[in-house]
Amino acid sequence: MSEASPPAGGGSVISGESQNLYGGTTLIVVGLVMLGISFYHPGLAGPFGPIMWPRVLSALIILAGVAVASGQLRVRGPKDFYGGAALIGLAMVAMLASIDLPGMRGFAFGPGTAPRLFAMLLVGASIGISIGGLLFEGPALERYAFRGPIFLTASVLIFAGTIRPLGLVLSSFATIMVSAMATPDLKWRETLLWAVILTAFCSLLFPYGLNLPFQLWPRF
Amino acid sequence: MYELLANLALGFSIALSPNNMFLCLVGALVGTLIGVLPGIGPLATIAMLLPITFGLPPVGALIMLAGIYYGAQYGGSTTSILINIPGESSSVVTCLDGHQMARQGRAGPALSIAAIGSFFAGCVSTVLVAALGKPLTELALLFGPAEYFSLMVLGLIFAVVLAKGSVLKAIAMVLSGLMMSMVGSDLETGAERMSFGIPELSDGIGFVVVAMGVFGFGEIMRNLEQVSTREIVQAKVTGLMPTLKDLKAAAGAIGRGTILGSILGILPGGGAVIAAFAAYTFEKRISKTPERFGRGAIEGVAAPESANNAAAQTSFIPLLTLGIPPNAVMALMVGAMTIHGIVPGPQVMTKQPELFWGMIASMWLGNLMLVVINLPLVGMWVRLLRVPYRHLFPMIIIFCCIGVYSLNNAAFDASMTAIFGLVGYWLVKHDFEPAPMLLGFVLGPLMEENLRRAMLIARGDATVFVTRPISATLLALATILLVLAVLPMIRARREEVFTE
Repeated sequence: MSEASPPAGGGSVISGESQNLYGGTTLIVVGLVMLGISFYHPGLAGPFGPIMWPRVLSALIILAGVAVASGQLRVRGPKDFYGGAALIGLAMVAMLASIDLPGMRGFAFGPGTAPRLFAMLLVGASIGISIGGLLFEGPALERYAFRGPIFLTASVLIFAGTIRPLGLVLSSFATIMVSAMATPDLKWRETLLWAVILTAFCSLLFPYGLNLPFQLWPRF
Repeated sequence: MYELLANLALGFSIALSPNNMFLCLVGALVGTLIGVLPGIGPLATIAMLLPITFGLPPVGALIMLAGIYYGAQYGGSTTSILINIPGESSSVVTCLDGHQMARQGRAGPALSIAAIGSFFAGCVSTVLVAALGKPLTELALLFGPAEYFSLMVLGLIFAVVLAKGSVLKAIAMVLSGLMMSMVGSDLETGAERMSFGIPELSDGIGFVVVAMGVFGFGEIMRNLEQVSTREIVQAKVTGLMPTLKDLKAAAGAIGRGTILGSILGILPGGGAVIAAFAAYTFEKRISKTPERFGRGAIEGVAAPESANNAAAQTSFIPLLTLGIPPNAVMALMVGAMTIHGIVPGPQVMTKQPELFWGMIASMWLGNLMLVVINLPLVGMWVRLLRVPYRHLFPMIIIFCCIGVYSLNNAAFDASMTAIFGLVGYWLVKHDFEPAPMLLGFVLGPLMEENLRRAMLIARGDATVFVTRPISATLLALATILLVLAVLPMIRARREEVFTE
């Protein structure tokens, strides 16, 4: 689980009080952002309309955050607790995004009915998971690796950004190089050679072998 | 009976044309090639290779995809046996005894018994698909929206019950998948839903994007953390053929695995996985020497491998007859079919018989190809596995990127895939199982559509789901399953199966 070239940062498992502090603060920040969005959200009738639920939930998240950060609430299963909290956040984003969609008219579903229904159910399940994380002893949070995810994500984003303007050859070469940096046992010369070979292979296979419409070089 | 034979003959006349045979061969080879790469299961393999079928006529494309599917599945068991990394969840159990056999220098027999078992299961279930296709298509006519909805609920509950870990977490995953599938234009009114004003989202999030991100990129991020844990069997794979004793020992297991797998595959919701688990546990239970299991018992390879292949094949039945993808791989098949202008469902069989039967015949052909061609190539696959991971994963990344991009020629899709990669990584870190989410994501639009229709027809009366007999039965089944999964006694058993 540990990496060969360690990114700067704490021990392998953040433990005890500092974790509570970080986790609690994260919850508070997320709750505040959500609350902010719910107020910024335009055009809705009354404070007790559909906007009420996201606000109540934000308040709940902030409260939980304060309780955790101040040590009032002991998180027994952090994996479940924070996992559930994140899903509540996701459900709230969906709620806020679908709030101005028309709902049921008579017995006909509107476009907003099903998204809100699923979001509400998800909130229910996630609260259950979080409460489970408070009640039962569970595994500690795993340490996140940074190098892999960052370089891999960057490489894919580079592909997305350059495939149109720069063409397949340059784009795939850059993608391969950046993604190769994701692993600590990177060997520059080998990687460079391998990237050249792979790029050549891709530039032959996809446009010529498979007749897919790819532009090979930058267009000016 | 006569009709069945005539249909199969039609299918084989199509599948055996030189052109289609070649496509099937290429599919099986390429599928194995990609499937052998560690951490890349059938799902990511098919998603990655979809673009290579774009230029083909529909029948050819589907035949090639079927080849890729079986190739990828076979590739998954190869990695299970040789490096103890299951290519996908359905070959998890194969690791137990398969890898032990490999460490005892019997990798050859393990690989060939897996192939032989798969082939036998493939033969039986091909006939089964052909035989059940017609009656089930007729059954599909009895299904109204309420029944479809309940069937999908049952499928999702299955996926929940079969996921490892907490039931509640799996339910949350299903719901997240359902919720995400709502992004995009509403089918009935065309209203933009949760698209945040991003025009690329008005078409919804692509299934391949989610699958590739969560299962492809997420998996690679995970693998990079544990590079050191790969142990490749260094001993040369010798003596490919199993001895007569091996064959005798495995024959019963293959037969039982096939039967179990065929039955479980038809059920919606991750058929192949549970089939493999069930076959393994069953085999262990009835064995006179259960202590050999986990120490390289050949039955422990034969049973799950036949079962997952049988299930993989029979899971085409709900797709082709009811138009419901029972698992994520089948959902990808739906995507592939739609690209070629085929809407899966009961009408395929009557309107495009050559396609339906050609595909069924090619399933069998694909299995045969694997036995004939891939077994001699085992040495090559082993060499491929020795390639260090640092060379493999950039290759996977670039192929995935190009694959996703070429689906719609949309760079936006590629960036979304990156985001879902992070999502997948996060999910695994918090012990959330991504498979139920994917099934929820796939079934979401279908479920909503049928729920809306059912409610509309029943004039808003929600009891319609329990008053119509078929629907009520399906829902009752779902409830029973869920209750069983939650009951502590069964839960303990379930954990035991998964940790074995």
